[in-house]
Amino acid sequence: MKFGMLMRSLPRPLRIVLGRIGILVPQMFGVLLATFLLIRLLPGDPALLMLGNMATPDQIESLREKLGLNASVWTQFTSYLSMVIQGDLGTSMFTSNPVVVDLLDRVPATLELITYAMLVTIIIAVSLAVVSVIKPKGLVSKFSKVYGLAAGAVPDFWVGLLLIYFLFYVAGIAPAPFGRLDPIISAPPPVTGFLTIDTLLAGDTEAFASAVGRLFLPVLTLATVNAGALMKMTQMVFADSYRSEYIRHARASGLSEWKLVRIALRNSLPPIITMVGFLFGFLLGAAVLVETIFAWGGLGQYAVSAVMNSDYPALQGFVLVAAAFILIVYTVVDVLYGIADPRIEV
Amino acid sequence: MKIAPGPRRATARATLTIGLILLAMQFLAIVFAPWIAPYSPVDANPINALQEPSLKHLFGTDVSGMDIFSRVVFATRINLLISVTAVAIAFAIGVPIGLAIGYYKGWISSLAMRIFDFVQSFPVFVLGMVLVSVMGQEIWNVAIVLAVLFTPVFARLIRAEVLSLRDRPFIAAARCSGATDQTIMFKHILPNALTPAIVQISISIGMAILLTAGLSFVGAGVRMPTPEWGLMVSNGAQHMILGIWWVALFPGLAIVFSVLTFALLGDAAKQIFDPQNRSIS
Repeated sequence: MKFGMLMRSLPRPLRIVLGRIGILVPQMFGVLLATFLLIRLLPGDPALLMLGNMATPDQIESLREKLGLNASVWTQFTSYLSMVIQGDLGTSMFTSNPVVVDLLDRVPATLELITYAMLVTIIIAVSLAVVSVIKPKGLVSKFSKVYGLAAGAVPDFWVGLLLIYFLFYVAGIAPAPFGRLDPIISAPPPVTGFLTIDTLLAGDTEAFASAVGRLFLPVLTLATVNAGALMKMTQMVFADSYRSEYIRHARASGLSEWKLVRIALRNSLPPIITMVGFLFGFLLGAAVLVETIFAWGGLGQYAVSAVMNSDYPALQGFVLVAAAFILIVYTVVDVLYGIADPRIEV
Repeated sequence: MKIAPGPRRATARATLTIGLILLAMQFLAIVFAPWIAPYSPVDANPINALQEPSLKHLFGTDVSGMDIFSRVVFATRINLLISVTAVAIAFAIGVPIGLAIGYYKGWISSLAMRIFDFVQSFPVFVLGMVLVSVMGQEIWNVAIVLAVLFTPVFARLIRAEVLSLRDRPFIAAARCSGATDQTIMFKHILPNALTPAIVQISISIGMAILLTAGLSFVGAGVRMPTPEWGLMVSNGAQHMILGIWWVALFPGLAIVFSVLTFALLGDAAKQIFDPQNRSIS
């Protein structure tokens, strides 16, 4: 009762944040349980899986001992929990670095890629959707129909390759598709991990231009493939509110068209936010493919090499980080949704 | 919103026709692959490596001199086999689960929903890649993993329908006349709850084709020399930068073609089964 009163006295956004973080803890626990079970429930001996078929019985026994595999499942889980809480995700068998170090090295590359891809996706999707709803018989509207159908059917990795062929090989306007920075340029001192920001902080415009150039093709790939779905959803929601009674009323009252669009867009925001959050998670999956093509050196490429080399500690760590990332994104989405839609009770 | 009845129905029919024609073409490719393909899909011939498309090799040859046209045709078998099998399994498992957790309320149903939430909150591709790699890279494992990933979709769709049906008067009437739970579930509820799941089949097959190809592309799917579209694109990936475009282009087009087919069929099914549309005609 007292707790409830305390909650109600807080400002609304803060209440939303606190309520959502409360749910985050059990969810994170679920994620840990799942990543733990992923490796333990595999058919066969995890120690054998980790060491490969060439392992001797002695090696297997000692790794079983080291991993605590001879203890009960519950003890194993609690020891895994305490390891993760201490920031220990094991050692990668391929790079022989601690998995945490490997992952932290690579997180910024992927985050930078996904963030810019998301921004461009939103800009493309929302502008196409708005224009096609306002001018339903226009060229943009016709294009959006074809694009909406095609974008869902085209594999992103293939689009990436075609863009490399046309924009790098044929037209020569895009920089080489290897990595995040021209190899002759030295990387700026890491501050945020985003090269586009760090280069500016270091005042190195040449490196900044190179980082932006290298982002161009992978971001374009991710955005063109993924904007289709967001566009279709935005069209539906925006059309509903743009043709609603209150917009007709506002138009009759003499508001400018630009203002009407803004009002209708504001009111279709909640479902768009949900979709954007979902897309953010989806982009993490798409980044795995795109990073492979552009030798991006991010989480996705790490995951692929973990898969190729049967590097299970690395894979487990990647799954954990990916799940945590998604959880955080969904939490942010829920908070923004609550703020964007004042009718939601908190 | 204004609804234009006539044209919409006509578009649905046109979409369906185009979709069916494309599907028929793929069906022919599957059945008659050995007769359509001029070469064996797995015959390597290094002397012929990386030949440009010509009359002899319609789509050119890849790095080991295999005929790309023949491989694209044969790959229809593998790609559609994996995708259709996966969706069929997902449908066969997801529908009864959805029916049960919609009909019976209780902690098992809530637990199942939480598990589905969890599986679906993950990016499909990441989960697929991890699961295939821990299970072993076999064709059937790819199909099983995709089936696991799609099962929640079908279960959810059925559950939502069941929830809206279970309290209807005709169900109460059936119960009053002494029908067992089983009869009610399978005879009275299921036939009325299937439509959204049936529409979803086609859309899911398209997604499965994309996922299969993506998995093979990163090396977490089927292996060489199996003719598979994603794997073939991946073989051409490193040549793209050198201007050798045909190795990756044609299998990619095949993917687009195939996914588009199922997207069109799904669209058509959605419009045909949509009750709002039906009442208009």
